[in-house]
Amino acid sequence: MNWTMLLVAMSPEHLLLAGIVVLIAIDIVSDRPLGHLPVALVAVGAATLVAALLAIAGYAAAPFPGQLSVDSSAFAAKAIVLVLAIPALLLARDEFPDGPFYALLLSSLYGACLILSADSFLTLFLGLELMSIPVYVLVLLGMKRPECTEAALKYLILGGTATAMLLMGVSLLFGFTGSLSLDAFGQLLDAGSPMAQSAVVLILLAFFLKAAIVPFHTWAPDAYEAAAVPVTGFMSAVIKAGVLLAAVRLFGFNSLSGRLVELLAGLALVSIVWGNLAAIRQTSFRRMIAYSSIAHAGYLFYAFLGDGEGRFQAVAFYALVYGLMNMLAFASLPATGDDVERDRLENLKGLYQRAPFAAVMIAIAMFSLAGIPPLPGFVAKFLIFRNVIEAGYTTYAVLGLLGSYLGIYFYLRVLLYMFMSPAPAGLQPQSTARLALGATVICLVPAVVLMVYPGGLLHRL
Amino acid sequence: MGDAVLLNVVLYLPLLGIALIVAMPEGQDDRVRRISFGVMLAQFVITALLYLRFDPSIAGLQAETNLPWIADWGVYYRIGLDGYNVLLVLLTAFLGPLVVAGAFSAIQKDVKLFYAMVFFIQFAMLGTFVAQDLLLFYIFWETMLIPMFLIIGIWGGERRIYATVKFVLYTAFGSILMLAALIYLVWSQYQDSGNLSFAFTDLFGTRLTVREQGWLLAAFALSFAIKVPMVPLHTWLPDAHVEAPTTGSVILAGVLLKMGTYGFIKLGFPLFPQASQLAMPIVMALAVISIVYGACLALVQTDIKKIIAYSSISHLGYVMLGLASLDLLGIQGAIIQMVSHGLTAAGLFLMVGMIYERCHTRELADYGGLAKALPVYSVFFMILTLAAIGLPTTSGFTGEFLVLLGAFNAAWPLHLAGESAPLVFAVIAVSGVVLGAMYMLWFAQRFLYGSTRVPHGPVADLNRREKLILAVLLVPVFWIGLFPDGPMRKTEGAALHFQRLVAGPPLQATAATPPALVARPRAEATR
Repeated sequence: MNWTMLLVAMSPEHLLLAGIVVLIAIDIVSDRPLGHLPVALVAVGAATLVAALLAIAGYAAAPFPGQLSVDSSAFAAKAIVLVLAIPALLLARDEFPDGPFYALLLSSLYGACLILSADSFLTLFLGLELMSIPVYVLVLLGMKRPECTEAALKYLILGGTATAMLLMGVSLLFGFTGSLSLDAFGQLLDAGSPMAQSAVVLILLAFFLKAAIVPFHTWAPDAYEAAAVPVTGFMSAVIKAGVLLAAVRLFGFNSLSGRLVELLAGLALVSIVWGNLAAIRQTSFRRMIAYSSIAHAGYLFYAFLGDGEGRFQAVAFYALVYGLMNMLAFASLPATGDDVERDRLENLKGLYQRAPFAAVMIAIAMFSLAGIPPLPGFVAKFLIFRNVIEAGYTTYAVLGLLGSYLGIYFYLRVLLYMFMSPAPAGLQPQSTARLALGATVICLVPAVVLMVYPGGLLHRL
Repeated sequence: MGDAVLLNVVLYLPLLGIALIVAMPEGQDDRVRRISFGVMLAQFVITALLYLRFDPSIAGLQAETNLPWIADWGVYYRIGLDGYNVLLVLLTAFLGPLVVAGAFSAIQKDVKLFYAMVFFIQFAMLGTFVAQDLLLFYIFWETMLIPMFLIIGIWGGERRIYATVKFVLYTAFGSILMLAALIYLVWSQYQDSGNLSFAFTDLFGTRLTVREQGWLLAAFALSFAIKVPMVPLHTWLPDAHVEAPTTGSVILAGVLLKMGTYGFIKLGFPLFPQASQLAMPIVMALAVISIVYGACLALVQTDIKKIIAYSSISHLGYVMLGLASLDLLGIQGAIIQMVSHGLTAAGLFLMVGMIYERCHTRELADYGGLAKALPVYSVFFMILTLAAIGLPTTSGFTGEFLVLLGAFNAAWPLHLAGESAPLVFAVIAVSGVVLGAMYMLWFAQRFLYGSTRVPHGPVADLNRREKLILAVLLVPVFWIGLFPDGPMRKTEGAALHFQRLVAGPPLQATAATPPALVARPRAEATR
């Protein structure tokens, strides 16, 4: 075995692992909750940097042939997932002063990195579980109200269902092709036999469940609402990006055809429409973001209608922009003592008067999520729909765009509250905490760069 | 190259303005106002220079910047001046300082945010006019929603939330379909030529079936017609105008509505010429309906802002009529009418704002005999009213007259060839002039004459700032009215270009050739 290759090719993972080990060691050695955040930040930051550099350098290797391989797009995907975790870490200090949070978050990231370089279903399964299981705990970790247990349990059971479906699909796939490699999945796509089709559908269902596509979405609003703000951000940005980018890897360069297109486009469309409509009724910020993320998962799955080459570019760019904007909104959300109060949309009323900077940041995030130019969310959406139209599915594209139109109102409503409503009595002016400010800047700066010059990143993806 | 730099300076000055305002400490509202005014004034001066240096004899873009932006998709940062946009850019830059000055006393809440938003919308509007790349155009076009949403929603009247949400949802609906259409168009062009490009010039020759053209034109036209607005897509306008603060109304009426007609002349019709020729009777019919229906609605309003709002619908109907005539005079008249309406409607809205600041009501019935109480105000109001009606020597006359001339010019040969519908439309459009005179004069009569009723009066007449704003505004009104030659010469190339693109591919030989033959000699004769 080539140790140098193993060391370089998996260096982001190694850095995360080192971080986890150090975090656990700190917990054993000292009982003062001091060094956790810096250690986690250094580990994730270094991993991001290394992944980005390796992506730019175009490094490609297969340390475990047939199981795990890396190339520049895999590194780019890892860099995207990792960078989105940094604001979540920065937001966490006030809510999670102690060790377990950081170790869990890092191991979840480790799993996300693993699935982004998986070549076989074995690695993919391992990575998916490694990514998901810590999140079940994370949802429960910041428990502030009794409903949290219910939400976490719901999430656990549906996540378990997804795992079961994946395993069933994979066993059918193994029975059909005698192989566990991801390439075998590509061959199944065109095969006509019921067994092959069941395998494809079961594997897809697992991804739908993880990405919260209607009608497999019911866990998302509860889990998002129950989790603490940094965890919600982590789930909506990092986990979603990881799952979708893994799906891109799963489909490879294969074009979709026939019934599969109908299934994928149909469910994605339903998600867009339902997510956007249900979001209008929400009174809780996190629930609203949950439904918005359901709609965004729909847009992301739309990208799979496009041809194989443009798919990674579209999904990666969209996931990055979407994640940054979600994180920006969460980072700017004013902190109040009570978690339920913080979550109420009504409490955003008059925010511009109390905290102008936070209000403007949330406004930027909302406009971008709504896909209104010039914010980067527009270019991301444009890219997806361009690919769909180029693949010849004009009708689906028009329907999807009309679905996205439905989403404009509830984003506007947040602005109506922040800028155009008087503040409710009894709320004090707030200043943003320093760390949250750091998280805001980390989200804002790349977003502005992507807005002014999207061509730079798109050229590399 | 120098001009290109200047044009970029003009485009990005508003962003500099935003940066300056944001950097100012809280509580120095007066300095914010002064800085805003200064930046806007500088922008106008540079734009005026660019206008003077604009050479109408050169075909194609001037002051052009062309840099790769999203190079992989063929999207370029391509901006420049041509006959289509040069007058509108000048109009936008001209209204900028007046808009800022007009809001000095009216806006007391969140002053920094307000001027930042005014700059933001100025940036987006100028960008829309100068963009020569379809994606860039779309981005600027949509960007306008954000500042307008906030301007109406924060500083608007009582029902401002309703009005601003309606405005955004209405306009966004049109643009969503335009986005799908523009992707389809570019993709078709790419299939056709192998050259992936969003540049207007590359897209003009795209080969499409008439059926495809029809769908794409419908998508583009929906978006543009909502902005114009053409009846029956006009219902957002009265709400937006009435609830918007004066500044918002002035920007809406002065520049934003021209985006729709500019979209038609620059993109909608030339991109899809065959479908446009087929659709021209519908466009003409809707234009005439807008003229007459808008005028009739204006006649029965009791809110003074609504009268002017509905008159805008009527006036922009003339623009569409001129474009649909495909006659050189009509097209040039349409461009002049855009500018003229921008000036007069902006002026009238400013004046409504001035009286509202004093008397706090917009009900026409509450007013009367202002000519005695506020003589200076009344003189300015009367002049603007007459300009809006289209009295000779004012810009309104040049625009409307040329449009109607063009409409008849195009309709007469068709009538002789046995198709009388365009002639009927032209005749009905003339009745719009009469209706226009009726509602404006009746409005002025009830407003300025009769027994004196000044709510919350007695109030002071116009102060020096207000007089200066209105006096400056009247300069181009008379300039275009008395010497239309200059602006018309600047836009003639564009009008010919438009005519060639739209009427060029002969679909119906009778429809395409006669207007061009008739128009040319008369265009010379008017000079």
